[in-house]
Amino acid sequence: MGASYLAVGWNRQKKIYDWLIFGFCVLYLATFVVLTAIFNPDYTFETVLIRATSTLAVIILHVILSIGPLTRINKKFLPLLYNRRHLGVTMFCIILVHGSFSILQFHSLGNENPFVSLFTSNTHFGSLADFPFQALGFFALIIFFLMAITSHDFWLHNLSPKVWKTLHMFVYLAYFLVVMHVMLGVIQYETNPVFIIIMLTGSFTLITLHLIAGTREVKKDNVIYKLKQDGYVLVCDIKDIQEDRAKMFCVDAERIAVYKTGGKLFAVNNVCKHQNGPLGEGKVIDGCITCPWHGYQYLPQNGQSPPPFKEKVSTYDVKIEGTHVWLNPKAYAEGTERPGAVISVVNAE
Amino acid sequence: MSTVTVILSAIALYLVAGIIFTIIFQLKGLSKIDEGVHGSSWGFRIIIIPGCIVFWTILLRKWIKANKEIINPPKEHA
Ligand code: HEM
Ligand code: FES
Repeated sequence: MGASYLAVGWNRQKKIYDWLIFGFCVLYLATFVVLTAIFNPDYTFETVLIRATSTLAVIILHVILSIGPLTRINKKFLPLLYNRRHLGVTMFCIILVHGSFSILQFHSLGNENPFVSLFTSNTHFGSLADFPFQALGFFALIIFFLMAITSHDFWLHNLSPKVWKTLHMFVYLAYFLVVMHVMLGVIQYETNPVFIIIMLTGSFTLITLHLIAGTREVKKDNVIYKLKQDGYVLVCDIKDIQEDRAKMFCVDAERIAVYKTGGKLFAVNNVCKHQNGPLGEGKVIDGCITCPWHGYQYLPQNGQSPPPFKEKVSTYDVKIEGTHVWLNPKAYAEGTERPGAVISVVNAE
Repeated sequence: MSTVTVILSAIALYLVAGIIFTIIFQLKGLSKIDEGVHGSSWGFRIIIIPGCIVFWTILLRKWIKANKEIINPPKEHA
């Protein structure tokens, strides 16, 4: 967290995850090379490398872009989010090989500088059948490069979270460029439609996942809480919230997580200070609300990260009447201590 | 020279300046602009190098600002 860049800690699970990514990549590349050697023995090594790395990177890119909506649809996918950045950096390294070898193979033999040649050897920007698709790949690669080099939390702090988030949203532009790079490229040199089919299936899956996750989110945000009393709204019943867990409510456009822990209810802003992770989907670990995305922690009673960390989120008032939970959507300044609502034995029954 | 050559040369120049900046910044500036850097590892310093080369103008601005604050500390709020 904000104290020192030993940051988001390492644990066994994350190491296993990294080894799995690595193992999968090696296995994929090896299989690709062997299969090509058997079925298309006349291909040069460069061509095999260009194709093996490009297809692997496209697979990883689809996985990366699916993780976000999948975690919204089902919490079981949350562990994948932990190392999504490692997946991103891995993808960049792989596609860098594709880009470099393509430039070497297609642009470094003339006396023109290869980068100049990349943009000037084909200028049929008006033609669909002959479009300079490599330029599209180049711009996608630049976006992946900028994302990879800023993936450390140091950059989140020093570019400011807003700039950082915006930069990383460009992944969707990059994805679009990749789709066009493949579509427009493949029609120029391949008669086999398999690349186009894979790309279309991938895009269709991604769009569907995003739509499903998006509509769920909108539904949650649009719940209208009818019962109001002195600024409080009735949100749920005590037993709707599990011990050491929370429920998220969106009241007056404020997203608030109501946590149940140690016989009390506490309300804090749902948005994690790290990268806007959903605090309401986390749990209480060692007495702290723990963000499900990368593990930033906050004390339930005041929304402050335990020292030496400095992050703070807003807090809110909750009260209990009978078994009903009432929430006041008026935010206190970030880090303000609130007493919470005591669950008496009578309420709990 | 074609437009493409001019643009690519400008980018190359910017990056060369970035490399020079990064060497000095890693030695002197880094721990001034971000207190999170204290106590972090060598690995961290290496990992941020490419970013420093590309985003050097932003870091330079922060560094200058941090230096000014050392000379004229901002007034504490009561
Ligand atoms: C400097 C950047 C890039 C250049 C110069 C470039 C160049 C090329 C070339 C020449 C081909 C045809 C290769 C062949 O004959 O087999 C190709 C295909 C392809 N590229 Fe790129 N590319 C770049 C970036 C990217 C990026 C960023 C991605 C995706 C993440 C990508 C994904 C693909 C895919 C999936 C194919 C089709 C499969 C294949 O034939 O390899 N490329 N690219
Ligand atoms: S810990 Fe990264 S978003 Fe919360």
